[in-house]
Amino acid sequence: MIPGILAGAMARARSLLRGIRGGTASDAEMEEEFRLHIEMRADDLVRQGVPEHEAMRLAHAEFGSTEWYKDEGRRARGLRWLDDLRFSWLDVKLGVRMLARYPGLSLVAGFAMAFAIWVGAGGFELVRQIVAPSIPLPEGDRIVALRNWDVATSRVDHRVLHDFLDWREEMTTVREIGAFRTLERNLVLGAGDGEPVEVAEISASAFGLVRVPPLLGRALVESDERPGAPAVAVIGHDVWTRRFDADPSVVGRSVRLGGVPTTIVGVMPEGFAFPIAQSLWVPLRLRALDHARREGPRVRVFGRLAPGATLEEARAELATLGRRASAEFRETHEQLRPQVLPHAHSIVNVGGSEWFIATTINLPLLMLLVLVCGNVALLTFARAASREGELAVRSALGASRKRIVMQLFAEALVLGGVAAVLGLAAAGAGLAWLMDVVETIDRQRLPFWYSGRLSPATVLYAVGLTIFGAVVAGVVPALKVTRGLGSRLREATAGGGGIRFGGVWTAVIVAQIAVTVAFPAAAFYLRRDAERIRTADVGFPDDEYLTVRIELDDAAPSGAAADTSRAAFLARYETRLAELERRLTAEAAVLGVTWGHRLPRSYHPHRLIEVDSGGAAPLRPEWPAYRVSSASVDPELFDALGARVHPGRGFRMADATSATRAPDVAGDPAARADSAGGRGGVVIVNEPFVELVLGGRNPIGRRIRYVHFEEWERTDPMRPGAWYEIVGVVPDLGMAVGADVGQGKGGDPKVAGIYHPVSPAAAYPVRLAVHVRGDPAALAPRLRAAATAVDPGLRLHELGPLDEVNRTEVQFLAFWFRLLIAASVIALFLSLAGIYAVMAFAVARRTREIGIRVALGASRRGVVLAIFRRPLAQVAGGIAAGTLLVGLLMAAVEGNVLAPRHVALVVGYALLMMLVCLLACIVPTRRALRVEPMEVLREE
Amino acid sequence: MADQTAQSGILPGTLDLLILKAVSLGRLHGYGVLLRIEQISGGALGIQQGALYPALYRLEHQGLIESEWGTSDNNRKAKYYRLTTAGRRRLGEETASWNRLATAIALALAATPREVR
Repeated sequence: MIPGILAGAMARARSLLRGIRGGTASDAEMEEEFRLHIEMRADDLVRQGVPEHEAMRLAHAEFGSTEWYKDEGRRARGLRWLDDLRFSWLDVKLGVRMLARYPGLSLVAGFAMAFAIWVGAGGFELVRQIVAPSIPLPEGDRIVALRNWDVATSRVDHRVLHDFLDWREEMTTVREIGAFRTLERNLVLGAGDGEPVEVAEISASAFGLVRVPPLLGRALVESDERPGAPAVAVIGHDVWTRRFDADPSVVGRSVRLGGVPTTIVGVMPEGFAFPIAQSLWVPLRLRALDHARREGPRVRVFGRLAPGATLEEARAELATLGRRASAEFRETHEQLRPQVLPHAHSIVNVGGSEWFIATTINLPLLMLLVLVCGNVALLTFARAASREGELAVRSALGASRKRIVMQLFAEALVLGGVAAVLGLAAAGAGLAWLMDVVETIDRQRLPFWYSGRLSPATVLYAVGLTIFGAVVAGVVPALKVTRGLGSRLREATAGGGGIRFGGVWTAVIVAQIAVTVAFPAAAFYLRRDAERIRTADVGFPDDEYLTVRIELDDAAPSGAAADTSRAAFLARYETRLAELERRLTAEAAVLGVTWGHRLPRSYHPHRLIEVDSGGAAPLRPEWPAYRVSSASVDPELFDALGARVHPGRGFRMADATSATRAPDVAGDPAARADSAGGRGGVVIVNEPFVELVLGGRNPIGRRIRYVHFEEWERTDPMRPGAWYEIVGVVPDLGMAVGADVGQGKGGDPKVAGIYHPVSPAAAYPVRLAVHVRGDPAALAPRLRAAATAVDPGLRLHELGPLDEVNRTEVQFLAFWFRLLIAASVIALFLSLAGIYAVMAFAVARRTREIGIRVALGASRRGVVLAIFRRPLAQVAGGIAAGTLLVGLLMAAVEGNVLAPRHVALVVGYALLMMLVCLLACIVPTRRALRVEPMEVLREE
Repeated sequence: MADQTAQSGILPGTLDLLILKAVSLGRLHGYGVLLRIEQISGGALGIQQGALYPALYRLEHQGLIESEWGTSDNNRKAKYYRLTTAGRRRLGEETASWNRLATAIALALAATPREVR
């Protein structure tokens, strides 16, 4: 039974496919078959004695109409519906003509669809680049990463120098294996200032693997990797243009990279940033012999799949090597499983959440498209309704309902096509803009494979969106308007009943108005956050300070023989910093210098703590302990900022030496260990701490300890560690300003804070705050010069006035603010157009009714009210829904009942929206009021 | 559909059965099917010739027969039809059901007034 059904289904599909594939070929086949039949019949007739010319005529007559049977034949094959769906050039021409005839409508609808396609296609491309990145190098997708996965810790173990050599020696499915590690170095030209640059220490084989020749000079070669070979570097196009003014004779020039004199040997072409986002390459000179297995520096290993080899084969081969290593080096490799995966995935790991990402981004965008096209449908419907007469006549002349629907679909498709072209053109630009914003906010470049280029898949998706949009905007209203067209034709009364706007359209309008109410409210919150960050009172004159984060190049890039231990590096850092402080203090314009791992206004992560005798203030239910922020700072910070310590005492220099580092330097395992098992020390808390944790009780002498390193690390809690004694209290110094951006913790911007006195080494990298007489920005060049003079390896980040530290957060908020405002404007625009269409439609429908009412003596007010009732209800419904949304939003954000001020604000805004929406009704209403009763009745 | 079989002068639904029967005896082109039907029905069941083709296409669409291009006796390109396994099964079922129906009708028509009393 089942096979029979299957065979039948397949035969149907085959015959249908044959028909579709060669629509005309199949017609030709039928003709051929018919001709053969008629000729054979004629031959037979001739044999029976019929004269030749008579035989042909007779054969034709006996056969019947070939056209008729051809048509029947197509129907028998299930191809007739295809004919109905196939639309002609005429439909397209009609569509274009319709667009030109209603330019206002076309403009609004086209703009709306272009917007939806822009957003939809942009979102799709974004998801594609995140989920299935494609590397823009020759056969870039065959570049893979090799790495060791530690099953014991569920982490990647990058200490693979030895394995790297083994893999390079033995792998046959992956060739051109190389390794790299990324660093940041100060690039110093001549006697000028240094500027940090992203560096890759990389195997020379990488340049063969990427198959990109240098623009100038040469790439790195194997002999560069030999210890003692001269220090050379290849620079990227951006460094070449920005730092060297695209000097064509740059090759051979000597620069200092960190402290090391280095010769530039080549320039890579624009856009080249392998392996991630680097713009300077130096040879990797790490030697496995210098280190034991599973020790030494961390590197990443890459290679290219050998011609013909698949990823699966590479996996199998590497797994074999891994098993052997596990057996051979039990001590170090028993827990290690080597993996091979696409290069991009090894850098940006989205884990198993591809589907989640794809849905969470694409689905809302698709819904936006539906909403927008629903609106366009509304407009199309209103217009189609006003063309009812034309459609009725076409139907009477024999056009099937399908034909009429197809014509309206063609119109929508023409509109959608134009919109798609515009939308796609803008999608690339939008994507590039978004990536710019992300790079600005993250203060680092994105991996080089992200770009504003649209993939063919995205273009295809946009075509799909266009067709889908055209179905929503063309076919749905067409089906509605053509339903029962014949019966309405018989009724044939001008302006009597007929089509009505149903619940769907009402819902569309209500939803849009709700959006126009809710979005600006959300935007208002972002604006307020940004404003609050900008104008926050941090307790001292922050506009008089210049701030900068200072890092130091660690040991000169491989080769230089020196003590490479961390302790030696930090000692060097402390010396350099002290020297820099000395030089700065000597400047006439400088009033003082201080530092901290985090300074006021910068973001402070949250920690969870407990208090020795228990806190007095109520515990927030969402946290298992008190939630505080902490900072490791210069013992003299409070003096330098002019903040008074009261009650209690300030830090002494001795506090910093007796205390180990605070659990502030996030992610540093040493800090974690110190804090968990260390000796503790003294801390100073801020006034909000006294209030929020101790309920206003005397804090001096009380002790606290950390129970979780990060509030979200429930799975990895610290051992409750050292106790810290509170010795003093300072005012709130802007600890909360950079925290929780965008969450608008509006009512309570204060955060309980703890300060730990440390040495600069324990707070690496520190942020310097320089108190300046006059404009702090004016000191920036001198600070740069001083730093280069102290050590060209000192890297300066985020140099600028302290009151502008939150610039990127503010930019981020501004980005969302603009996006929300743009979305609101478009929603408003669309809903106004929708309301206008509905009103105009209603007035046109009810012309006769209005005329009769006026003739019977109805007042103008009565007439207006009768027309207004429906849009009024829609607008009111939308505003109510939007207000409810805003109310919920406010309640969620503010965490309390709405203040009368907020209610007044929302009500005022709702009234304004009402007024704006009603403006859309003016033109149709005036038209209605101008109706002359006599004219209407005469028309009857 | 109805008017086409009315023109053909045969019972509705029987044309498909006749075609299946005709091609069950060996592969045939369209005109051959017509001749075979005339031949096996003793020339009693004349149909309008063009009506044959939609029926052929329908049967092919249902997977009961299949077609391929070949060369006819007088060396001309012709499309040949052949019964499929599904078609053979269908022919069996239809034949049985036709026989049942024909017997029933024959019985009914042979009934005498005495029998219905």
